[in-house]
Amino acid sequence: MSTGTLTGTTVTSSAAPRASKGPRRRTARRVLAAIATTVLLVIVAYPLIWLVLGSFKSQDEFLNNSVFALPESWSLDNYATAWTEGNLGTYIRNSVVAVFPSLALTIVLGVAAAFALQVMVWRGRNVVLFLFLAGIMVPAQMILLPLFTIYVRTGLTGTLWPLIITYTAIGLPLTVFMIATYFRGVPREIFEAAALDGAGALRTFLTIGFPLIRNAIFTVALVQFFFIWNDLLIALTFTSRDDLRTIQVGLLNFTGQFGQVQYGPTFAAISLNVLGTLAIYLVLNQRVMKGLTAGSVKG
Amino acid sequence: MNRVLGDRRAIVVLLGPALVLYSLVMLVPVVWSFGYTAFEGNAISGFHFVGLDNFRELVSDPKAHEALWFTVRFALVLTVVQVGAGYALALFYVFVLRRRSGLVRTLVFFPVVIPTVAVALLFQQLFEVAPRTGPVNQLLELVGLSPVDWFSAGGTSFVVLLLMETWRSMGFYAVLLYAGLIDIPEEMIESARLDGASWLALVRHIVVPLSLPVLLASLVFSINGTLKVFDSVVALTSGGPGSTTTPLTLYMFQTSFAYGQYGYGSTIALLLSVLCLLVTLVIFRSARRDATEA
Amino acid sequence: MTARTNTRRTTTVISAAAAAGALLLTGCSGSSDSSAGAEGSSAFSYLSFAENTSIQDTLTALSEDACSTENEAAPLEVTTQPQATYDQQLQLQSGQGALPTLFASGNSPLLAQELDDAGQLVDVGSELESLGKTDAIIPAAQSTIEAIYGDTTYVLPTEFNVEGIWYNKALFEDNEITPPTTWTELVDAATELAAAGITPLSADGKDGWPLTRLVGNYLYRTLGPDALQKVADGDAALTDPEYVAAAEAIADLGAEGFFGKSVGSIDYDGALNQFLTGDAAMFYMGSWALANFNDPAQNKIGAENIGFLPFPDVEGGAGTSSQLAANIGVPLAMADSAFDSGAKEWLGCIADNFGTQSLADQGVITGFASDVDASDLPPLTALVQEEIDRTDETVLWFEALFNPEAATTSQTNAQLLVTGKMSPEDFMAAVQRDLG
Repeated sequence: MSTGTLTGTTVTSSAAPRASKGPRRRTARRVLAAIATTVLLVIVAYPLIWLVLGSFKSQDEFLNNSVFALPESWSLDNYATAWTEGNLGTYIRNSVVAVFPSLALTIVLGVAAAFALQVMVWRGRNVVLFLFLAGIMVPAQMILLPLFTIYVRTGLTGTLWPLIITYTAIGLPLTVFMIATYFRGVPREIFEAAALDGAGALRTFLTIGFPLIRNAIFTVALVQFFFIWNDLLIALTFTSRDDLRTIQVGLLNFTGQFGQVQYGPTFAAISLNVLGTLAIYLVLNQRVMKGLTAGSVKG
Repeated sequence: MNRVLGDRRAIVVLLGPALVLYSLVMLVPVVWSFGYTAFEGNAISGFHFVGLDNFRELVSDPKAHEALWFTVRFALVLTVVQVGAGYALALFYVFVLRRRSGLVRTLVFFPVVIPTVAVALLFQQLFEVAPRTGPVNQLLELVGLSPVDWFSAGGTSFVVLLLMETWRSMGFYAVLLYAGLIDIPEEMIESARLDGASWLALVRHIVVPLSLPVLLASLVFSINGTLKVFDSVVALTSGGPGSTTTPLTLYMFQTSFAYGQYGYGSTIALLLSVLCLLVTLVIFRSARRDATEA
Repeated sequence: MTARTNTRRTTTVISAAAAAGALLLTGCSGSSDSSAGAEGSSAFSYLSFAENTSIQDTLTALSEDACSTENEAAPLEVTTQPQATYDQQLQLQSGQGALPTLFASGNSPLLAQELDDAGQLVDVGSELESLGKTDAIIPAAQSTIEAIYGDTTYVLPTEFNVEGIWYNKALFEDNEITPPTTWTELVDAATELAAAGITPLSADGKDGWPLTRLVGNYLYRTLGPDALQKVADGDAALTDPEYVAAAEAIADLGAEGFFGKSVGSIDYDGALNQFLTGDAAMFYMGSWALANFNDPAQNKIGAENIGFLPFPDVEGGAGTSSQLAANIGVPLAMADSAFDSGAKEWLGCIADNFGTQSLADQGVITGFASDVDASDLPPLTALVQEEIDRTDETVLWFEALFNPEAATTSQTNAQLLVTGKMSPEDFMAAVQRDLG
């Protein structure tokens, strides 16, 4: 029984029966819609609430009390443990240091490339565009081993550079593809007019191309951000030391030497992640929804 | 004018950095990786040429077959389920909640931004059966069913994986598809409704055709992601029990890094790439056919 | 922890990254790696598993007290690395010629062997001999080292663990069960306990290794101490009927429900907790679990209530229950490139004092001789110490001589074997296939 079928049935059951619209029917519909909405929100929110409650429990409570029990005390010990012993602070710093530079680079390089491929006119641009397109389909596994060799030979292991470089390159195909789609939607006359005014190609790009699709860039950046932020494969392969780990890799490691799981600190670490993400999300949410609803992925 | 938009130097400046980086980090390694498939060994033991042995191994290796089958099954089923759930939600937003859907959309979207590993750890706990009976199994007991040992077999682990991925992604697809539905003119729906069209007929003949482009984009997006699934599986089941939930991505990772077989690992990666290309091509072709029919 | 590295299936998977370091032995240029600590050659650098704190604590205690002189000449510097990526890190450093002076020798015995083949490790055995400290390593530990690594001793045994079945005395008495000495008696005891509604055997099926430990033990009892060496040498196969019989015996325990319900979902903590809260009567585990047994906060049944049984004899088998399964904890190796006079002094000091210090501070029994009086030890620890003193021949664990692939296959499929989702034949065939 998946959530899909559940919401599916609520949609049909709360659907408008044919034209008749008595006031009683309308109330019934309202109630049904309210119930469906409540069920949906419980499905989404309950696991998260349970998680936050769990982050206050001790190991003993985890092992011997009911899972629905409220925590016996609201102490922040688990959070302290997660932060200090779990090195969470370091992991977050690494994630930030690895993700944001790559994100900025991907966007700058990708937008410039998309402009050159979509707006400018030259022979062979379709071939290059296709090359970038192919990159969307190639799984990262295909390039893992050679990259590893390259980074070792160049002595980059032991730093965060391998992550930054790889993220930037892996983000390029989708960025180029999406931004190119936006440029396609811009009337060519705008660029041509600029060119007639005597602006050079680079100036046209900087003064007209870039500002024109600012919203689009924001949307693409968000999509890329979630991809890179949630990456496990690359981070797992190229971080060989604990002080280089990102959040995703760090979270996998909340186990002791014999496989024992410290539930409390693990839950606390997850909660911190969720709450942190929630904060970022709430700040940016309006932009996300607008960007996505603006039909960013129509292509 | 074309001199300006065809300015060689500007093209080099704009495209150069991206193309160089992309070539060095993606294109060259892809070719390199392709070369590995004809060798055996790793840097400790050295490489030696084995010709087509790795491909022969791939044909006869039961683990590879299992992983391929799992990957295909997972991608197909999950794509249908998560896009379906997202579509149902989008319809719900547009036709039931209407203008009041903003807050719900936001909340249901949220899980997609939580780190996957965190979600997986959470679901492990939710579906736990022993030593503690987790929330899901307690619910089952409440309604008089016996608790299920979810992670003890491939089939039930697969179900948990599906539920988890759907929980994570349905809000995301709902918002994507919502964007396609919101553009449908109200008048069309209203007039059809006055003609006495049933709800299902409405969806089938008006809503789906009009939102088809977005639906297809979602399908491509979904299948491309699900074929490459890695982090959710690693964090939730590590491919277990046994190797019943090991996709090609994970099998490749183990083969290369844990067992030190670079050549064979690259061969598995190649199989995965071919699979991704094939599926994308199939979808694009069928999409083109649909477009001409419509 | 060579013997029980496999922290969790997840970790096993992640160790994936570990072998990646393989590449690094190709000799790479310039290291940007500052943690190697090889710059100040006079420093005594120690690289440890992040998950293991007892060794670093003991070394730190030594540096402040018994080895303070050595520490002034060559100050101890501890760095840690999580187990999951430990091997990768080690190979990185070895490729750059920057191995630490002393280090945990990796997740699988094979890695230490590879490093030794590459001439990177100190022959600590002959170094101890030249220092006149040949009896620093106790005989039982020495024989275990030789069984795993062969004749050259290039690792130090920081622990010496014997493995066996811990049992709850009160539960045995309540159900009128005498501690079993043969396999048949063990099965009978389990049957009675199960009938009384008690989980007979608590086991961590999630990680799998505690289950395959039983398979290994059964093999050693039926076929004798060289059972798995023969497989490693290719003189026997796990698919031979006498080997499959061992997998079958353990699968039968599962089929009878002796591991309780959902053994595949029980992790290490859960299994330990089942035993220490009196829900399970028996628990197969190594003596490293003494730390938990001696902790009243975790142990709700009382330490005096726990007894120890060697894995029982199998009737008509070539092995005996006096051949305890054993391991040497985290084996430490020393890098040849960093072995200067300061390091040699340290080695001598460790040989003299590590065992005593570790037992006194941590209650951990090591492979080094110690002069702690048994009367000062918690009773359970003293009991294990006696067992060790009585033992002259030890056996290994199931995966000790396997390559990483076969070890992974064995441990990930163990739960399927005991839940009846995989036949003993298929289980052994899958492992054998990966042994190559």
